[in-house]
Amino acid sequence: MSTPVIDEAELARILARSGLKLTPDQVRAILPGVPIFQQIVERVNRPLPREAEPALTFNVEQR
Amino acid sequence: MSDILTIAEAARQIAAKQLSPVELTKSHLGRIRRLNPKLNAFLLVTEERALADAQTAEARQMTGTLRGKLDGIPIAHKDIYNTAGIRTTAHSKLLEHNVPTRDAHTVKKWADAGAVMLGKLATHEFAFGGPSFDLPWPPPCNPWNTDHFTGGSSSGTGAAVAAGMIQGGTGSDTGGSIRGPAALCGIAGIKPTYGLSSRVGILPLAFTLDHAGPMAWTAEDCALLLQGIAGHDPEDPASVNRSVPDFTADLDKGAKGLRIGVVRHFFETDHRASVATRAGIDAAMDFFRKEGAEVRDISLSPAADYHAVGYLTMITEAFTLHAPWMRERFMDYGELFRDRVALAATVSGPDIIQTVRRRRVLCQEMGTAMDNLDIIVSAAQPAEAPRIADVTKWANMEKPSFTMPFNVTGFPAISVCTGFGEGGLPVSMQLVGKPFSEPIVFRAAHAYEAAMPWRARRPEMT
Repeated sequence: MSTPVIDEAELARILARSGLKLTPDQVRAILPGVPIFQQIVERVNRPLPREAEPALTFNVEQR
Repeated sequence: MSDILTIAEAARQIAAKQLSPVELTKSHLGRIRRLNPKLNAFLLVTEERALADAQTAEARQMTGTLRGKLDGIPIAHKDIYNTAGIRTTAHSKLLEHNVPTRDAHTVKKWADAGAVMLGKLATHEFAFGGPSFDLPWPPPCNPWNTDHFTGGSSSGTGAAVAAGMIQGGTGSDTGGSIRGPAALCGIAGIKPTYGLSSRVGILPLAFTLDHAGPMAWTAEDCALLLQGIAGHDPEDPASVNRSVPDFTADLDKGAKGLRIGVVRHFFETDHRASVATRAGIDAAMDFFRKEGAEVRDISLSPAADYHAVGYLTMITEAFTLHAPWMRERFMDYGELFRDRVALAATVSGPDIIQTVRRRRVLCQEMGTAMDNLDIIVSAAQPAEAPRIADVTKWANMEKPSFTMPFNVTGFPAISVCTGFGEGGLPVSMQLVGKPFSEPIVFRAAHAYEAAMPWRARRPEMT
């Protein structure tokens, strides 16, 4: 699963939605960390074996 | 050989009435006065309290009523440990004037054991944001070279132990915050099994990753200190109700018969460690083999998988805790804390669920890998401490951590010094055990330390 690119405007929107009302400078200070963090997010989202949580999860593609 | 005593040595001398707790405390206070202006390890020195504690310990010594091996031993606490009536700041402007009314569970346990509290130690802001220069206090410097980083977040404890300002101290470890500074400052530090020591009264960073543990000059001293804080606390929902073993009971059993698995790909390919770090581990494995241990390489998921699960868990849990303050007082945090934790806002619900699922898989993997092992070995840090000026805001995300895997799984892990690198600063390794197998971890670490020359060498400034 590829993670959508987050640009400055999108980051500002996401931060505001979480209640962080930041100035453009404050958002720009965070922005360089986004692509590095996105690699971490991508890694946890790679496919997992079915055994990962057998009783509690299902795959919508699974029949 | 250094004239700074270990806890084990001091305890023996105190018990034999050859060492006065008051004189020992005064000696450490003198060293703090001399070295803290260069090292910034202490945020607060509680001299009156220390002398009062020492006098009380000395009275017990004189009447033959010592409470154990920690009685009269000079220690200090990372400044996220609540201390009743004594400022506890998390090294942050947000808590600059915070004075708790109650001791952390662990603080009380050491005090009840007779330890002498010398003060409160520097930390990365809220155990995460550092090294930072925009906080009310500067970050500590590494006693081996003051231009270099101590590691963190238990940065003050690492510097203070290495410099002999204290004999031991508390740390907390969410992704490596005990083992990292222990490694970079050339001391020992153990992250116990998750649930072994209470976190009540310690300012949290991430509920499911936080561990409380000790740091000291030797593994033996860590065992003595952990004995003083381990045990069930019904106020901590993660605290495990089981009997506490004698952590020093097996110290002298040596390495013979231990089954050791080296996760070589962690530090050779996943995140290639320095020549000195790798050579130190190789030499340590040679030692264990010669002592009669069985040593073999093992394979786990890439270190980056463990790091991703741990890091994402850590910052989302931290954001959960800090969001109310971050919404109102964003700029009162230091830049490193606020900008790192704000990234949690970009995480989705499915991201969290996948993280939880993957964590389960990784815990199962490591548990299975340890079925036929007593100890897992990895690097603790990639190299010697870098220059403090070279540590960037995003450094903790750029390469996989060697310590985080054992926060993800909760297994006990100790960092011990394996020598010195090209720059003259310490290098290290980690010894990891099965859950609640701390006596074996200490046994292996002590066997190694006792056979090597590294514990005889202190930073020149001491």
